Amino acid sequence: MAGVLVIAAAPEGALSRSSLELVGGARVLDAALGGGVAAGLLGGAGAPGAAVETLHRHGVPVVYRVHHPALGVGQSDALLTAALAVCEQAQPALVLVAGDTVGREVAPRLAYRLGAGLLTDCVALGADGGAVVAKRQAYGGRAVATHVVRRRPAVLSVKPRSLDAAEPAPIAGRVVDVAVTIESAALPTRVKQVQAEKAELGLEDAQIVVGGGRGLGGPGGFTLLQDLAVALGAAIGSSRPPADAGWVPISWQIGQTGKTIRPALYVAVGISGATQHVAGMAGSRTIVAINRDPEAPIFGVAHLGIVGDYREVVPALIAKVRELKGR
Amino acid sequence: MDLHWLRAAGVVLLLAVAGTIVTRKLLRVYHLIRLGTGPVPLERLSLRVRDVAVQVLGHQRVLRRPFAGFLHLVIFWGFLVLLTTIVQAFGEAFVAGWTLPVIGGSPALALLQDIFIVLVLGSVAAALWWRAIARPPRLAGQEQAGAYLILGLISGIMVTLLVSRGAQIVLEAPPWAAGAVVSRRLAGWIAGAPEPVVRGIWEVAWWGHLGIILFFLTWIPEGKHLHLITLVPNVLLRKARPRGALAPVDIERAERLGASAATHFTWKDNLDAFACMECGRCVEVCPANMTGKELDPRRLHTGLREQLVLAGAEAAAPQDPADMGSRLATPPLVGGVFSEAFLWQCLTCGACVEECPATNDHIDKIVEMRRHLVMEEARLPDTMGDALRSLEARGHPFRGAGLSRTAWTAGLDVPVLSGSVPPERRAEWLLWVGCASALNERNHAPLRALVRLLREASLEVAILGDEEACTGDPARRMGNEYLFQTYAQQNIDTLRRAGVEKVITTCPHCYNTIKNEYPQFGGRYDVWHHTQLLARLLDEGRLRPQAPLGSVITFHDPCYLGRHNGEYDAPRRVLGAIPGARTVEMERCREKGFCCGAGGGLYWMEDRVGDRVNHVRTDHATETGADVVATACPFCLLMLEDGKAARGATIRPLDVAELLGQSVQSSGVQLGPRDRG
Amino acid sequence: MDIIVCLKQVVDPELPLREFVIDPATHRQVRAGRPLVLSTYDENALEVALQLKDRSGAKVTALTLAPQATIGDAVRLALAMGADEAVIVDDPRSPDLPGAAKARILAAAIRRIGRYDLILCGCESADWVERVVAPLLAEELGAACVTFVSRVESPDGALVVRRQSEDGFHLIEARLPAVLSITSDETNRPRLPKVKDIVAAKRKPLQAWPAADLAVAAGDTTADGVEVRDVAAPEHTARCEMLRGEPAEQVALLAERLRGLKLL
Repeated sequence: MAGVLVIAAAPEGALSRSSLELVGGARVLDAALGGGVAAGLLGGAGAPGAAVETLHRHGVPVVYRVHHPALGVGQSDALLTAALAVCEQAQPALVLVAGDTVGREVAPRLAYRLGAGLLTDCVALGADGGAVVAKRQAYGGRAVATHVVRRRPAVLSVKPRSLDAAEPAPIAGRVVDVAVTIESAALPTRVKQVQAEKAELGLEDAQIVVGGGRGLGGPGGFTLLQDLAVALGAAIGSSRPPADAGWVPISWQIGQTGKTIRPALYVAVGISGATQHVAGMAGSRTIVAINRDPEAPIFGVAHLGIVGDYREVVPALIAKVRELKGR
Repeated sequence: MDLHWLRAAGVVLLLAVAGTIVTRKLLRVYHLIRLGTGPVPLERLSLRVRDVAVQVLGHQRVLRRPFAGFLHLVIFWGFLVLLTTIVQAFGEAFVAGWTLPVIGGSPALALLQDIFIVLVLGSVAAALWWRAIARPPRLAGQEQAGAYLILGLISGIMVTLLVSRGAQIVLEAPPWAAGAVVSRRLAGWIAGAPEPVVRGIWEVAWWGHLGIILFFLTWIPEGKHLHLITLVPNVLLRKARPRGALAPVDIERAERLGASAATHFTWKDNLDAFACMECGRCVEVCPANMTGKELDPRRLHTGLREQLVLAGAEAAAPQDPADMGSRLATPPLVGGVFSEAFLWQCLTCGACVEECPATNDHIDKIVEMRRHLVMEEARLPDTMGDALRSLEARGHPFRGAGLSRTAWTAGLDVPVLSGSVPPERRAEWLLWVGCASALNERNHAPLRALVRLLREASLEVAILGDEEACTGDPARRMGNEYLFQTYAQQNIDTLRRAGVEKVITTCPHCYNTIKNEYPQFGGRYDVWHHTQLLARLLDEGRLRPQAPLGSVITFHDPCYLGRHNGEYDAPRRVLGAIPGARTVEMERCREKGFCCGAGGGLYWMEDRVGDRVNHVRTDHATETGADVVATACPFCLLMLEDGKAARGATIRPLDVAELLGQSVQSSGVQLGPRDRG
Repeated sequence: MDIIVCLKQVVDPELPLREFVIDPATHRQVRAGRPLVLSTYDENALEVALQLKDRSGAKVTALTLAPQATIGDAVRLALAMGADEAVIVDDPRSPDLPGAAKARILAAAIRRIGRYDLILCGCESADWVERVVAPLLAEELGAACVTFVSRVESPDGALVVRRQSEDGFHLIEARLPAVLSITSDETNRPRLPKVKDIVAAKRKPLQAWPAADLAVAAGDTTADGVEVRDVAAPEHTARCEMLRGEPAEQVALLAERLRGLKLL
């Protein structure tokens, strides 16, 4: 039992971004603990060729490929079976799984069946001596817990977008095809339908929220905010005056008589910071305020403040975010 | 002789018929009233009688609308005075030549009677003009046909009286004729006619007079004129508890919680419904109604009356299966006759209760129906539900408040009272902080100013700190009596353990609940609002405001300090003691004060129908031209700050304590744009 | 249908920051003296169970693992909202137990309860946020598992649920018995209890089972070999860092800060 196995995914052929992040994390662990890095590529339809190439290009020498029609999007039980098959062949010491929709279902169950240790939603991975040291968030983001994982094997699920994606490091690689028997009809759960919804991200569950206030001057200001929200991957909300004025739907209102949110990041644009609005967002871990008025009460509650005209600041911010994410 | 017996017989017959009709109608009303429960309060009888004298005889509230009030006063007193003529008429019917003892034949009485006849006729004419031409909006909600009928009947009574007196003067030249100046004039017009004609005129007028009166009598139980009978008992039997206190409920033993049908109210609530004159003054002063909401305080009583009548009819009617359809068509009281929106729009501000000439209590009924909605059906606006859930879970209704209960004391070193401190070392006064003050940063400045002012006067206060829980007032106003009692009991236990006797608070809601409602559960304390104590300290010279404040200040009366507890003067005395401060009153001030919009638990409801109440109130303040709108309630302060922001106004909302605090400080400070207490 | 809802009491997540203190000995939040509430998503899970009961007459049992002394009103609240029975597994260690250990104890309790078609939990607890109890429960019991369920679409016949995904949702058909972890949705806002139900709840059956009496499976859980070294609440700075300069400079500074916080 040695090495780090990354459970990778390649929806529509290309390797997912979170898989690259896992590879990055795996290589960091491998550098400290040794044993090599491998990846399990679990796919359904479509040739996984490009994904394999990407993995080799980012320093993963061995790719265990499982190919089965039952391994569609969201098919946790099938994916669990496939992952177990890969683990049986690869015998890793550590397994990294992305903490996404499927990963959060599969990782604990994989650990259970492997008789392995488990740590979920890691946001940082490192090593200390022969042990893995990982950090995760606790208490609704109010605290950071540092864990030491000595047990082997161990399954670690990683919160998407927490780790840096692996840098390219081309390496000669090989593919191991892993056969797996999955009887679709016998699976305890089956995905009947995958529905992509352009619907707004739920305000109350979003990790990043952008809020607009009276300072936006009108519904037009919210169009700009929408662009910022899309760039950040954020949900969008408002203080009370825009909801009252009908610039935005009432469901967008954040405040004592609106929604209460506790995202990792809240960007308040043109919001003065009245108590009843603050009551709805004070739990946000990081609050950024953009307002023309340096005396606005919002700066008393924000962590980062920009005094300026949102019409200049927000476009610049959108451009910057796009630039950084494009990388 | 024959004629006399005929007359007597005729009178008896008419009386019997009318009497029977009226009695049956009144009995029906009585039974409908008795569909309700509750004790009959008779304590402090002398005060009650005095109330009746002031309101009924003195028309105190009626006269708040001077024009209409005066008309009504005249008609009312006219009827009282002219009762003498009716008694006279009946007496004469049975005993020829009978007159009232002592005053009977006096010209002075006759003069008085004549004057009132003219006055009443004039008032009726003015009333006709008022109703038909001037058409004040509040009268539009009444049944017009019945109103005109009554005015017609009154005119008829007066005219027939006048004619019969004139004829009598011609026929008998009675001794009182000397004083009956108007009747004499009329007599003069018919004196020329032959005697049988005059006698005929007299008979017609006399029987007409009697007939109209008796018809009027049978008409009284229909609609709003029932108040002729029900008003005196309604005033006499007003609820015994203090104005701001709601009725407690024995949750464990009650077979139902709140009212969902017309038969679920108390008998006094039902009496209210039958005493309501539909004058519409309550509607005129209702801030919700004035800002375009559905809420209509008058409809509360007229609707209840209608439903009681229906309930009575249903109870009396045989169970006819064919009737099922029409019975099912009767809308439920809660959610039908009164929509849920209607019930949740009430601010419990008490403007309607203050205004009502019948001394009805509108708030009690709305809260009863809210109790049903909240406690039996768990249906209330989402945001209010969130506030109650927060109250249940963490002891305060302010979700998202990141402050602790003692955060406001930073640097002030306010002692926290606990049972472990020996009594002689405890502060004399407990400062009850309240959630609205502790958990909303804007209200910290008034608290700190108050503590500093009291220390200036060598008065130390202690607080309960984290042991203080919400008084439960929002829960009670929203109708969750259960949650309220839970917290009331908890707080009373805390106060008892801490040995508290004297309480001072800056929040009128806390003030009202601790002072007027906690006694219902055994908690009795000497409770002061901070403006009352500050006023006393100023009177005693223990506080000396030195620094002049050159501001124009208008005072916004908090509903729970003013109307509910009768305190309008203390805050004004405090403001008046500040040198240099000029005060100006809003049109709607004191008893006519306009709610800030937060009452009745509505701080936690989004006001989206019509104008926002607090925006309108901010307009009232800015219209006075004042620099500062002063208030004495943490909720009012938050609402006025919000209104100021919304309207982009320059007026500064400040608590009375902040203003006094500015002046009592050694360095005089002109209020700058960002100054706080 | 028999439904078991697993409920956890946590310290009020909306506690003022000042009150949020980590005990260095246990590496957990200090609970003493703080108000306890039902974990947020557990309330949603309870609501989903109650809606199923309203729709098709299921029996709902509330199950909680806690030291009995600290149970407070949370369980009574569940009964007042409409749960038919409550079972408390009394374990004084439980506030500090990792999720895997809890799942094992809960599984033993569930086996003792005996009848179950659906087991509902919150998708994550408001305090320790491990998100492991539901999947591990499913493994312990050999049941089907779907996490982050926002709605149960059709409880009759086959069980179809809606699972929240990154860009929408998946409709999943699951076999019974199934363990579902529930996330919040506009359709599962927890109901307010009616007062007469609060009063009636005092008479509903509430059993307390000492954890030691349960036949808890032996062997390591997935939490063994994974230790907490430290839990740190980052210093809460009261001052706002103002980013100065031209918009371009301010934005660059902001982006840098956000990257440092792993928010970009």
